[in-house]
Amino acid sequence: MTNHFQNDLVEILKERTAKGQISRRQMLQGLGALMGTTALGLGAGSAQAQEGRLVFVNWGGDALDAMDAAFGQPFAEETGINVLYDGSGPTEGAITAQVQGGRPTWDLVDAEPFSSQALGRQGMMEPIDYDVVDPAKQREGFHWEYSSSCYFYSYVIAYDATKYDTPPTSLADFFDTEKFPGKRSMYKWGAGMWEAALLADGVAPEDLYPLDLDRAHAKIEAFKEHVGAFWGGGAESQSLLLNGDVSMALIWNTRASLLHKDTEGEITFTWDDGIIGPGGIGVLKDNPGGKEAAMNYIAATQEPERQVVLFQMLGNGPSNPAADALIPEEERRFNPMDPANLPKQVALDMAWYEENYSAALDAYLQIISA
Amino acid sequence: MRPVLFLICPVLLFLGASYLLPFLGIVQLSFTDPDPGLAQYGRVLTEDLPTGVIWRTLRLCVIVTAVSVSCAYVITLLWVRGSPLVRSITELCIMIPFWISVLSRAFGWLSMLSNRGLLNTWLQDLGLIDSAIQMTRNEFAVVVGMSHYLIPFAVFPLATAMRNVDERVLTAADGMGASRLRIFWQVFLPMTASGIMGATLLVFVFSIGFYVTPALLGGGQSVLVAELIYLWLFQIPQWGMAAAMSVVLMLGVGGILFILMRRYGEMAK
Repeated sequence: MTNHFQNDLVEILKERTAKGQISRRQMLQGLGALMGTTALGLGAGSAQAQEGRLVFVNWGGDALDAMDAAFGQPFAEETGINVLYDGSGPTEGAITAQVQGGRPTWDLVDAEPFSSQALGRQGMMEPIDYDVVDPAKQREGFHWEYSSSCYFYSYVIAYDATKYDTPPTSLADFFDTEKFPGKRSMYKWGAGMWEAALLADGVAPEDLYPLDLDRAHAKIEAFKEHVGAFWGGGAESQSLLLNGDVSMALIWNTRASLLHKDTEGEITFTWDDGIIGPGGIGVLKDNPGGKEAAMNYIAATQEPERQVVLFQMLGNGPSNPAADALIPEEERRFNPMDPANLPKQVALDMAWYEENYSAALDAYLQIISA
Repeated sequence: MRPVLFLICPVLLFLGASYLLPFLGIVQLSFTDPDPGLAQYGRVLTEDLPTGVIWRTLRLCVIVTAVSVSCAYVITLLWVRGSPLVRSITELCIMIPFWISVLSRAFGWLSMLSNRGLLNTWLQDLGLIDSAIQMTRNEFAVVVGMSHYLIPFAVFPLATAMRNVDERVLTAADGMGASRLRIFWQVFLPMTASGIMGATLLVFVFSIGFYVTPALLGGGQSVLVAELIYLWLFQIPQWGMAAAMSVVLMLGVGGILFILMRRYGEMAK
């Protein structure tokens, strides 16, 4: 029920108290805020600007520990600024609520670059300071005004290898249930799925954008009966394949790599026709920890060695191309940005998403939930 | 009476401040974001996505309510009128799920019903089916998961009604030669109607706001109202639409409550 979200927040508070990241008094304030005072704005008093501390909000799970180990701890050693990782999920709406409420408590967010761009244009994000953040340590084609490229993932075809003698090698295969029988799973929030449908339908990668949504939706609608489930989160996508509910799925490469390792290749994936999704770090307007500290943090995450740590813990591809070569040879096959894997894939166009995501997702949900 | 009213004043103030005021804010938002006017209501009530979601939610909630109240009726009957042993076993079966979080229960059902889950494995081992039957990631799973959560809520109003049944009326019916089945249908069931009404109301109103269970068990194919509101709040922010949808939901639930309460009130007389 709807209470779950608040319970989750309580859990996070407890966890953080246990880790000594926030004091007991702050926890009580937090609990008080959850019990209703936030709605009145009374809880806002506890969110004072705090020097020497940054709050980084990501999507939770393993990313909390991984980002802390890869970036937070070395940054604290260098600068004395502690970074707290909070997994409550920096959706566009949550960031808007933070900024519009005045006195945001978040500094940095692991938000979709197109979200940061849209919010930035409404004056809710700080422009990235490219004098501090080094554009030379980023990949060609992934520069945004309000979001700094920080990692990459990919929507890849993962499949149950025990069910297919010849493995699928393209999105056309994914959409072909005669050659490759069995249920499929796709992403519930649309991103990457329109591209997949169009590529399978014969659109050339260079002609993808602007997306022909009508054509993509027609393809998905005709295919829908073969989709056993539309997954909404990484863990769910993993269990769909593990439980045998579906035999092929378009899922994040991070989860696909885990499945490959956990099942010793019984469930595996291909980079062919993968769809690259870029991740980015954004900074909230008037962030409590100060703009300068936030930009310094972003610059520190560009260190290739630290990006390798993140890759090894989470499976995300590095945003700094210099990191690719530092990854041990036997692990490179799991890096979406590796020179051997990247050419097989296409990347999502953030400018298109900024303009069109909202309307496209409305239409997509209309089709998949009908 | 007066001193009692005075004593509950703080509660009313608290409820007013913590629920009514924010709700008025939502109402305001629904008329003003992004532009002033009724456009958001127009879209919520005419566009395909929101109307489709509203109908699906209502349909699913009616099914869930019917399933939960029927199951709860049988369980309550065992609990109230069974032998002492049956009573304590049913009591455990009612209370234990009550203590388990909604998330764990949804995952429990997943491992029970999925293609390599317990049920499919047993059926295959027994040779009753050849290949797994898909029982999760669809509306069937949503109904199972939601009903399982809601049954205990239906049990309590039913139990009160059943305990209030005058034993002598049943004895009298028996004495007049009615069969057990007839006593149940014509005497016992009508006498517990108020409990059925209360349970139906409670379960239905609860079910409309469900979010986690349908999201996990529905396989993304049964988006309900609560999830759509979440989507419009966070994923693709259109706060005016989310607010308008919330107000429509409030009015809808309020209206249903009002009608049922009036009927329920009459039946209780």
